[in-house]
Amino acid sequence: MILLFLVIAAAALLLVLGFEMFLVLGVPALMVKEFFYGNLPDPVVVQKVLGGINHTTLLAIPFFILAAELMGQGQIARRLTGFVKALVGHTRGGMGYTTIGGSMAFGSVSGSAPATVAAMARMVYPEMRAAGFRERFSLGLIVSSAETALLIPPSITFIIYGWMTGTSVAKLFVGGLAVGLTLGLAFAIMVAVEARMSGIERGMPLSWGARLSALREAGWALGMPVIILGGIYSGYFTPTEAAAVSVVYAIFVEAFVFRELTLGKLFAVTERAAVSTSIIFILLAMGGLLSYFITLAQVPGFITSFLESVNAGPIFFLVVVNVTFLIAGMFIDPNSALLILVPPLYPVAVALGIDPVHFGMIVTLNISIGMITPPFGLDLFVASSTLSKPVLSIVSGVWSFIAANIAVLLIITYVPGISTFLPWLVFG
Amino acid sequence: AEFVAKIGHLESDQQSRHVHLEKVAELVAERTGGAVEFQIYPQGQLGQQREMTEGVQLGTLEATVAPAAFLGGFNPAVSILDIPYLLPADDEAAQAIRSGAFGEALCDSFDTRGVECITLWPNGRKNFTSNEPLADLDDFAGQKFRVMDSNILIEQFNALGASAIALPFGELYTALQTGVVDGQENPLDTIQRMKFYEVQEHLVLSNHGAMEDVVLFNPAFWQSLPEEHRTTIVEAFNEVIPDLIEHKAAAVDAALEEIKAAGMNVRELSDEEKAAFREKMYPAARAAYIERAGEEGEQLIAIYEKEYETAAE
Amino acid sequence: MKALSLLRAVERFTVVTIFLLMVALYFLNVLARQFGGTLASDLAWVEEAVRLMSLFLVFFAVGLALDDGRHVGVHTWRDRIAATTGLPLRKVIDATGLVFCIYLAWLGLQMTIFVHGMGQRSPTLNLPVFWMYLAPTIGFVLMALRYLLSLTGKIDRFARQEAENI
Ligand code: NA
Ligand code: NA
Repeated sequence: MILLFLVIAAAALLLVLGFEMFLVLGVPALMVKEFFYGNLPDPVVVQKVLGGINHTTLLAIPFFILAAELMGQGQIARRLTGFVKALVGHTRGGMGYTTIGGSMAFGSVSGSAPATVAAMARMVYPEMRAAGFRERFSLGLIVSSAETALLIPPSITFIIYGWMTGTSVAKLFVGGLAVGLTLGLAFAIMVAVEARMSGIERGMPLSWGARLSALREAGWALGMPVIILGGIYSGYFTPTEAAAVSVVYAIFVEAFVFRELTLGKLFAVTERAAVSTSIIFILLAMGGLLSYFITLAQVPGFITSFLESVNAGPIFFLVVVNVTFLIAGMFIDPNSALLILVPPLYPVAVALGIDPVHFGMIVTLNISIGMITPPFGLDLFVASSTLSKPVLSIVSGVWSFIAANIAVLLIITYVPGISTFLPWLVFG
Repeated sequence: AEFVAKIGHLESDQQSRHVHLEKVAELVAERTGGAVEFQIYPQGQLGQQREMTEGVQLGTLEATVAPAAFLGGFNPAVSILDIPYLLPADDEAAQAIRSGAFGEALCDSFDTRGVECITLWPNGRKNFTSNEPLADLDDFAGQKFRVMDSNILIEQFNALGASAIALPFGELYTALQTGVVDGQENPLDTIQRMKFYEVQEHLVLSNHGAMEDVVLFNPAFWQSLPEEHRTTIVEAFNEVIPDLIEHKAAAVDAALEEIKAAGMNVRELSDEEKAAFREKMYPAARAAYIERAGEEGEQLIAIYEKEYETAAE
Repeated sequence: MKALSLLRAVERFTVVTIFLLMVALYFLNVLARQFGGTLASDLAWVEEAVRLMSLFLVFFAVGLALDDGRHVGVHTWRDRIAATTGLPLRKVIDATGLVFCIYLAWLGLQMTIFVHGMGQRSPTLNLPVFWMYLAPTIGFVLMALRYLLSLTGKIDRFARQEAENI
């Protein structure tokens, strides 16, 4: 117990003293290894570090970062946002709703919240600021909107949950759509309130002629979302491949249509994206190491025996589920949380009569929230590294959204109908 | 307990492999008077299969029960199990090959690879599903099938004139739904658990690929066990095989019922058709195997073909 | 510091080449699938290759990230705490980072040698798997070098973070 306290204290200390985040995770992980698993051969550390990042689906992150860098450095981003502004720029807080809608569309196909932040942040952040939103609010909204990636189908999180529990993936997808939209609605309400409070004015709507010319201007740039969304839904490529295709398209359009991308620029942009990737992946790597030790510690067994000893009813049980996942999400990555925590909790949920689809929604929403909660919230770091903003600015912007998330989580948890109504309607 | 073995594997805790690992753990604990304890970590909690196998070599993990298809990189000889229609359709005949001279030679091939092979476990057979019709052999031509990472499986599909597409398992459901690939191959209980029937129209009960598990222990740990415990463990693993086969069969039956109820178009292959499939796929896969496994592979396949002939009689 | 700028040039060239090659291979794979047949099967190794390349991409870039002060961390209070307590905090971080990275590079080397000895090969490419473990080994060496240079005052890797906090 004293040793465990020492580990946690060390992590907190390193964090506050300004150590690199990978050291904040890595050094305590090594302490755990020495204190509790001294008899394991040491090279296992490197194996688990690599295990944290050696997944094909993670490739979407570097590819989308590169595509976003190319679009941001060139013309595509400006023309795309120009077109959106021509449509909604006159409404109060239109750029805020655009951020939510864009992230939901993008998150839907990419299935990866960090990839969504990477792709959207550079494009919408300057526009939100220009539209009059405060820095904090803009950062918070960008980071939180990306959460919907796990909920709006397709979603690998639901597929893994379905495999572990035998729940219909199709039903989970439909339920996830409902929950994702609820989350989007909550953020939209926040945008409406924020826009009023910070005195963002309505503008004059543009004439249809001006809109048409913005559309013409956007032409090639609009190809980007069309190709990504269309390509995935019509089965030309997987979300991960779509990321690579979007890079090729961006290079083609910027170099040969807009004729501004030189080889030198391509080199610089690619290098920047590579460095951003490495910053995110080194954290995922350390997260892989940490998750391994949490698994070995058999924490799940502890939770099950705790639940048995207090003889929990459904309401108390769901509180335990929420608290457990929120804490886990502060330190470990989403998929590990799913693999480690669902097996002990799911049978209890079933015994208490909780609908498997409903439980899947609760679990997945918890996991999404975990991606934006400090100290370890991957999306916070992605925003920090792609926007070159201190982590603390992102964190300070995200608190009000975490509050909104928890409110939605409580509603989803205690109003099962939101999760189960649509699946029931579709599948009976 | 005096000896504690962490055992990692990929399947969920309700599937046959895990259920019977728990049974083995129980038997071993009971028969060694609690001296040997097995701690079982399901569904890849301890990492992907490659990491777990490396862990067994390294000694971070005492044992793993690994699908043969994931072991080719460690021991090319084991990829013989990837060859379609390798084992006879009859369960008893198949078990005779598994536990006879072939199984023994296969297990021995792990000796030089830094792991101790205890036994082979059956884990069902693969079937084809697709969104395009699979009414006969020729229908496979031009279709895109997802394969596991294995050259032999790639050759299996090439032999049918189909494309073999490498995709991560987690992306497969969506890929089938959107049409990135037309079909896939897996045992029925996997098709049911992964809900592939929600996004697939046609199922052919081809039973073409044996899914064999290899039980691997860390050599240092294994040597540290007293002889009697080792015998107890090996016996326990072998003793549950009939139960395992039965459990798997029940899971497969239940899966088939669910799949049929979901409205999938199910077609059973006749024996003649199966023979035609074997004739088409076996030589190509065999050649790919020998190319990868070399002389060791040739020897192993010679032992196998002899055993197979005996079993066929 | 001519050697360092040469190293940086090598790292930059490596990551850019790897990254663009990854994009090209993945794109080629998508194209090949549209044509179908054995052409698509022939490219089944791309997935594995690109995954391996991504590891080298990451670990050839971590050193650059450290040089430029781009690794994430909560740097807001660091210099204030150092000033109040009189602790040479930057040096403490550099020293910790140096020890950590040397240790991980050492473990990486051990793992590389071990896997090399076991002879494990990758399933579709048939490439020796030790290459995979070489990536983190190289990456932690590259970071250790930066921590050492910063500790001995040869480079200023904190400059960017100061600008960020203003
Ligand atoms: Na999604
Ligand atoms: Na978190």
